[in-house]
Amino acid sequence: MVRVKPVAGAFCALLVLASTSAGPIAAAVTPPPASPAASVSASASASALPTEPADPTVLLRSSVAAPKTVSYVGQFESVRFASSRASATIVKVEHRAPTLTRRWYVAPEALYGDYVITRGSSTYQFDTKGSKLTVTRNAALDDPLLSGGNFNRILQNYRAIYDADAIVADRPTASVSLINKYTGERAVRVWIDRQTHLVLKKEEYHANGAVAAQTRFEDLRYTTSIPDDIFSIDAPAGFSRVAGPAAAAPSSDIEKVIHDAGFTPYTPKVLPQGFNVVSGDVAMVNGVRTLHLLYSDGLRSISLFENATGAAADFGSLHPTTVSFEGHDGQYVEDGPTTLLTWKEHDIYFALVGDLLRPELIEIAKSVVP
Amino acid sequence: MNEHLSPDLIVDYLHGELAPEDDALAHVHLSTCAACRREIDLESNLTEVLQKMAAAEEQEMPSLIKAAVWQQIRDAQPGPVARFAAWLRSPVAIPAFGVPAFAVLLVGGWLASPYGHSAGTAPTIDAAYYLQAHAQTAQTPLSIQPAQPALETSMIDSGAGPQLADADADAALAAGGLDGSR
Repeated sequence: MVRVKPVAGAFCALLVLASTSAGPIAAAVTPPPASPAASVSASASASALPTEPADPTVLLRSSVAAPKTVSYVGQFESVRFASSRASATIVKVEHRAPTLTRRWYVAPEALYGDYVITRGSSTYQFDTKGSKLTVTRNAALDDPLLSGGNFNRILQNYRAIYDADAIVADRPTASVSLINKYTGERAVRVWIDRQTHLVLKKEEYHANGAVAAQTRFEDLRYTTSIPDDIFSIDAPAGFSRVAGPAAAAPSSDIEKVIHDAGFTPYTPKVLPQGFNVVSGDVAMVNGVRTLHLLYSDGLRSISLFENATGAAADFGSLHPTTVSFEGHDGQYVEDGPTTLLTWKEHDIYFALVGDLLRPELIEIAKSVVP
Repeated sequence: MNEHLSPDLIVDYLHGELAPEDDALAHVHLSTCAACRREIDLESNLTEVLQKMAAAEEQEMPSLIKAAVWQQIRDAQPGPVARFAAWLRSPVAIPAFGVPAFAVLLVGGWLASPYGHSAGTAPTIDAAYYLQAHAQTAQTPLSIQPAQPALETSMIDSGAGPQLADADADAALAAGGLDGSR
């Protein structure tokens, strides 16, 4: 079996970076038409920068659309904070608008050399150590109502304000914070490239103000000169090609979803303010009919999974912690700022997932079966 | 016998250790000699006092010594395992124990086999599925990178607006050309 060597991947990434660095080639960079980055310069001077719109939500809307029109190569770093530890990744990225992206992992060592190619809502995950290519379709991204509706939900529940400007990856940015209208807490802060409107840095915060996650570009070059080979989805020789876990297509017709579940589900009676049920789906997971209900306020989301066939969660190599509430034991694990809480009640197995603090999640769990 | 009894004779007389002839002569003398009867009485009382004193000086054996003695006694005896092993070697035990043991091994082997296992085990759901399914559907528009599942999903920022599905993946999935089962 032939495996893709990380060194080869790094070499390709270096080639891309070299081909897009300052010089004659960089001078030939042609941003896509009708793009906010139509006049992207390698080192924008402050005097030439466009002024940000008076309404920060206009800038936010523009930033959402930016990846569809702006191409770039670079490297970004993500750090996700659990209650007592953090996990980080460093990823090289090549993105060609509108929908081609390759991410190549530099760190941690366990992922080094692995890469992921995204083409629209399809993802090709190359596991170079296991010589395996996993293909996954994310049906959630195909529903414009479900995806596009998020931004309106954000504006319903959050107030956008300008924050202090900063330089990120040598690019001048405008910073916008989203303040929860009900709690007054800042939930997210983004740093948006003032020329291209691409989000270059993002911080997410817990309800108590603690940083939950941070992602930011360390290095960034705008270019459209990215070879097609970068986005090749051909399985290298010796790779097995498998289908990833099939996420069911979500539906906003919740009544139909609940009917399809085949059992009477329970739903939470207590949710953070601004949260509403957004979508639902029924999937067969390991032969178990599993109902999934998604609740969101636009920025934060909670998933509630239920099955009535006695299928408990298998934590495998994860090390769950037992927590007691309302007379029964649950188990939870933290994955960065995301917490998974599982328990059994009234012969139904529940799993609750969300980027909320554990006490918040437990309060929601208590209200599922009062 | 007109002479008084000597102390040694008195002691031997009291302990019945004189020869019959000497014992008879000492008995005749004591019946007529008050002085020797007093000596006999004194000696007799002294002996009694000494016996009582000796009895009073007898003490309980210290508890630690008794415990040590009992421990040595127990150590000298065979333990439960040794007694059970000895019982197994007895002719009676072989049919009484061997048949049920064989039955237990037979049932246990069947349960451990794929036939017994598949029939009795409830299905489970990989906890990672919940995290991945949540990450895939919980999209937020404000992200640095497009959504991506599977590989360390939680480590990567997710979320993007609606995008076009990749025709190659659709074709491969529709044709069943992938090896995966899910």
